[in-house]
Amino acid sequence: MNLESIKTIINTVLQNRGKQEVESISESTELRDDVGFDSLDLAELTVRIEAEFDVDVFEDGIVNTVGDILAKLK
Amino acid sequence: MNFIVTGISKGVGLEITKVLISKGHTIFGISRNSSAELDELRKTYPENLKWRSYDLTDHRSIRDELFKSFIGLKTEIHGYVNNAALAYDDIITNLNNDPLEKMFKVNVYSPFNITKNVIRSMLLHQIKGSIVHLSSISVHTGYKGLSMYASTKGALEAFSKNTAREWGSLGIRSNTIVAGFMETEMSSTLSDKQRNRIFERTSLKKPTSLNSVAKTVAYLLEEDSISITGQNIHVDSGTI
Repeated sequence: MNLESIKTIINTVLQNRGKQEVESISESTELRDDVGFDSLDLAELTVRIEAEFDVDVFEDGIVNTVGDILAKLK
Repeated sequence: MNFIVTGISKGVGLEITKVLISKGHTIFGISRNSSAELDELRKTYPENLKWRSYDLTDHRSIRDELFKSFIGLKTEIHGYVNNAALAYDDIITNLNNDPLEKMFKVNVYSPFNITKNVIRSMLLHQIKGSIVHLSSISVHTGYKGLSMYASTKGALEAFSKNTAREWGSLGIRSNTIVAGFMETEMSSTLSDKQRNRIFERTSLKKPTSLNSVAKTVAYLLEEDSISITGQNIHVDSGTI
């Protein structure tokens, strides 16, 4: 799991919503404020990450940043 | 299209399954036990009718047992029919917590958990799907002894309306069918006198037709109802 694969998933969700894709992300990128995700976008992000890595990253707490996702996948 | 239907071994669930199969759909059917009629149907339509025995009192294993193992996460799901239900009827002063909790698990907690997984699947596969809950006229017209059962169905009606609002922007719909009293096993404990009194309260003076309920379910699942969501559709012989 690396930043690039998270970026790909984030951009899939953005594309599905007709939103502007992101060019780069870092561990400190905020999913709501920087990427522009709302709660339904985050739900799709969750299921896409789960489909690939079999981990429900939002199941037991709040995830705000890309770094938070990476931490859950470790 | 692929639909999940619960409680398919008998009564209205079996009728819904027959109607959906006749329209060429594939059913992922769930019930505690099979039945002679269901066995026959499975033999006739091995491709269109997939069945798994599952006890919906276990609302915590739904993801693993039903979505991962039985249906498969890669399978597109276009709709879910929440039909399975227990009817624990008694007057309130006799309330017993064991059957009450069991009923809430089957009628409320499991449907919530199945809906969760259905919507997650629809998100993954970009499906504008349809969810249909079977509710009961007892929610809207009180019947002695049905307060606890009716409250589980009232919970579903509230859940459905809010599902519709929450997921409507993605094209996911949710409706309930408010079924009147049908001649099924669930109402078989009623005496003829009770039965007739119930039917006398309807406009049509008749029990609700299982086939009419099943065809309304099919309508709400399919494209023809594309603009209908967040509604309670009464199929109840006109209980007004």
